[in-house]
Amino acid sequence: MLEVRSISKGFAGVPAVNDISFEVSENEYITLLGSSGSGKSVLLRIIAGLLEPDAGEIILRGEDISKRSCHERRIGFVQQKYALFPHLNVFDNIAFGLRHRNNDRITDESLITRKVSEMIELVGLVGQEQKMTGQISGGQKQRVSLARTLVTSPEICLLDEPLGALDANLRERMTIELQNIRKELGISFIHVTGNEFEALAMGQKMLVMSEGNIVQQGEPQTLYTMPQDLTTAKSMHSFNIFSGDMMADYLKSGLKGKAPSAKISRASHCAVRMDKIDIDKPTAKASGLEATFLTSEFLGNKVIYFFKTNDDRICEVEDHMSLSEPKHLNPNNAYLLSWDAADMLLYDENKQLIS
Amino acid sequence: MRSNKGTWLLLAPGMIWILLFLVAPLIMMVYVSFWTQTTFSIKPDLTTQSWVNFFSSDTYFGALLRTIRIWLTVLFVTLVIGYPVALFIGQFIKNKTLQTALLVTCVIPFWTSFLIRVLAWRPMLGKEGAINIILQKIGFIDAPIEVLLFTELSVIIGMVQIYVVFMVGPIAFMIGRIDESLIESARDLGASATTIFRRIILPLSMPGVIVGSIFVTVMVLGEFATASALSGRKVNLLGNIIITQVGSLKWAFAAVAGVVLTVVMATFVAIMLRIVNLRNQI
Repeated sequence: MLEVRSISKGFAGVPAVNDISFEVSENEYITLLGSSGSGKSVLLRIIAGLLEPDAGEIILRGEDISKRSCHERRIGFVQQKYALFPHLNVFDNIAFGLRHRNNDRITDESLITRKVSEMIELVGLVGQEQKMTGQISGGQKQRVSLARTLVTSPEICLLDEPLGALDANLRERMTIELQNIRKELGISFIHVTGNEFEALAMGQKMLVMSEGNIVQQGEPQTLYTMPQDLTTAKSMHSFNIFSGDMMADYLKSGLKGKAPSAKISRASHCAVRMDKIDIDKPTAKASGLEATFLTSEFLGNKVIYFFKTNDDRICEVEDHMSLSEPKHLNPNNAYLLSWDAADMLLYDENKQLIS
Repeated sequence: MRSNKGTWLLLAPGMIWILLFLVAPLIMMVYVSFWTQTTFSIKPDLTTQSWVNFFSSDTYFGALLRTIRIWLTVLFVTLVIGYPVALFIGQFIKNKTLQTALLVTCVIPFWTSFLIRVLAWRPMLGKEGAINIILQKIGFIDAPIEVLLFTELSVIIGMVQIYVVFMVGPIAFMIGRIDESLIESARDLGASATTIFRRIILPLSMPGVIVGSIFVTVMVLGEFATASALSGRKVNLLGNIIITQVGSLKWAFAAVAGVVLTVVMATFVAIMLRIVNLRNQI
């Protein structure tokens, strides 16, 4: 339905988005994960028409819309900081697009009232219509911003870190609501976020961006369990990544004869999920290393233990409370961290997974 | 209790200042306007004679009407010239340093004294002034335009030039504060540039227009120097009347003119503040 073809964009010679292509199907929720500066917001703004790409095309339902100006694209864009019009109340904010758009402007106020009221009901803002934007909470502003875009029935809706400014509680509730709202309307969403949990939880398809490139795309579960690219693994914030000399040492000591030698000799990096590591539990097939315990963080349903490896890197171990009791470790003591060789993902020098 | 006392203590300097230098003089002015004025002296016997004289005299009532007419004209022209300039500085110049530089450029004329700024218009507008010479040289006119100097027009030209910057500043400030994301959202919702200007930029810049209008109003209504310097004392504003009356020790009469001016200003400011609630906006 929407096709992004080889989009590139640079600022003052520095590439921000580099030859990016992907497709969005009908009725699909896509999440775009990337750290700040990865080019994800630039990409979104290019699709919306707020920035002009240096090269590439954007095809919407078979039609090239790259040259069309923003207000003629029928692509909705929900700004990160809501960008509500401060001189208008909630109702007028939501009605803005219907009343003032250049194409198909609606002049029948009763029709506007009907459409806006439906949208207000859908996003859960009943009773707030007459309030000014300064009088409502952050979560409500988010809903107004979303409703204002959705009421114009865009072909596709782009959301730039929509939950970024909300507190954790509200964020969780909104993730569910966003999905429900989208399902109800049956349009596609592209949701940009820097939060891996948001990206994993919400997307039917997930794209991972880094340094202006899409490093991997696919179903969230596949990306999480089998990141094809080391950058993807990094952006999940759930892997310990070992590289360089340290890596060579493990392969020599811990992995001796445990993995096919051809695979090991090609590997330059390895990644182990934080929740797959055992502390002080040597088993026959385990590989591992010794590390110094620093501190732990109790998070209610899980504990995160922080260790320092011999090459001064931080190694994190995650223990879920449903699987084990919290451990009492002594700071500055060395412990054996071990894992199943099968849980170790090996990457070559180009950061690609060795399968 | 303690905080209450503290509040009053903090308020006291400002309150005392305003009481002494604003409220008391105002009351005094109203009071003096009802005193009895004779040729050489003034007595605190209350009478409405000065008020009757003011409103029954063509000279003085005419001056009031002229003052209002010139003020509204200057206000209108400063707005028409000032708004686009402010829009340009606030909206089209994205670089904050350049924005500040341009605003500073607007106040460069203020580096010279007020009188010089006013008098500099004479060699510009005169019969043999720069404008007439240039227009004649390029063959645009045959004879010099005499209406340019020593008329109401020259007073308006002078005042607009002096006060337009007070319109530009507040408007540019308000427009500069409009978040770029609002404009982007409006574009994305399908609004064209003119709609965005009418529905977003214009309403959001209104507080600037109000503040600018109040600045210009307060200054123009109290004006007398520009009028006398550029009209050759032919155009008398209420300010000029006050000056001459005070000069001839007609305090009661000057007080009447002062009260009338204050009422006009206060009414205008009150109306403006009703239109836009500045407290919410700034």
